[in-house]
Amino acid sequence: MVKLRARCLVVGDAAVGKTALSHLFNSDGSLFQKNYSMTTGVELLMKCVNIPDTSDSVELYILDSAGKEALVDGCEKMWGEPSLLCLVFDLTNKQSFTNCSRWMERVRVCNKGFHIPGVLVGNKSDLTSRREVEASAAQEWAQNQGLEYCETSAKEMENCDAPLRGLARAFHSLYHERREAIQNLSLG
Amino acid sequence: MSDISLSSLGAKVVVAASSDENHPPENIIDGNTNTFWMSTGMFPQEFIIRFAEPTMVSVVTVDSYNVKHLKIEKNTTQSASQFEFGTEKEFENTEGHLQSNALSLSGSSATHLRFIITRGYDHFVSVHRVSVQP
Ligand SMILES: Nc1nc2c(ncn2[C@@H]2O[C@H](COP(=O)(O)OP(=O)(O)OP(=O)(O)O)[C@@H](O)[C@H]2O)c(=O)[nH]1
Ligand SMILES: [Mg+2]
Repeated sequence: MVKLRARCLVVGDAAVGKTALSHLFNSDGSLFQKNYSMTTGVELLMKCVNIPDTSDSVELYILDSAGKEALVDGCEKMWGEPSLLCLVFDLTNKQSFTNCSRWMERVRVCNKGFHIPGVLVGNKSDLTSRREVEASAAQEWAQNQGLEYCETSAKEMENCDAPLRGLARAFHSLYHERREAIQNLSLG
Repeated sequence: MSDISLSSLGAKVVVAASSDENHPPENIIDGNTNTFWMSTGMFPQEFIIRFAEPTMVSVVTVDSYNVKHLKIEKNTTQSASQFEFGTEKEFENTEGHLQSNALSLSGSSATHLRFIITRGYDHFVSVHRVSVQP
């Protein structure tokens, strides 16, 4: 049995649905907030994820960080050294997708060369008629950045636990990889 | 003295922040670098070694992997609390082989040593052996 712990940073433009997704994941799909209430700092949520087919678990410390430009500098100081990244954009807002590069830059700065598993999330997939970003474009960009890609709808509670569950699994694999490497090393 | 393991002298690891059943903290003091304790995510990470009796410590040698910065605190009381600063060191990154670092303490006696790993070169670090010289 292994208990892992990871600091999972959730970033992306304002109003793309970071808080909605974080709370939905944290409450096992029972809480969707229809009215927008802007996050002004970094909100911490904790959730323990069991890894399927093992007795191992990952305790996620989810950092839901404000997306509003003017608040970002203040938030960055609280990110620490993230272990995992969840980058969210709004499928109905092209600009929020374009801005993902800037978010990646910011994360790289505080991250000091660590490889961190990450996922790109296109949210609000329920608003099909207002869609501005094609899945293929998002998928391609994610791949170039070394991120997984998935689409969610917090409103319809579609696929919402996939991003963070996927990250927990990725962190678990990384641990096993590193542990095996150290094992080989120590045996000379 | 460093080839006698701390555990055979009655020392114990009384606190460790991380838990992987296959790599328990006892591996730190068994005198064997083939076995190790592994951290399981996030920093800081810490463990505390308790000696069977007050022990003179002037040099602590730490065999590890991916540790970037280590701080050692000590105390002379019966409980694992009220520590005072001992020493600290920035370790070099050694890709492909273990780190081995000697840290000097001011040669006083201690009942507990607290090891705080504040930073690493990767998500996970391992500690293979801690030994002390009087
Ligand atoms: N239709 C639809 N609306 C959503 C979805 N997810 C979130 N919303 C709405 O979008 C608005 C913003 O959601 P938040 O989760 O507060 O956005 P945020 O990314 O946390 O924003 P900041 O805290 O300002 O960075 C809210 O009114 C939500 O109800 C979704 O999947 N579909
Ligand atoms: Mg928010």
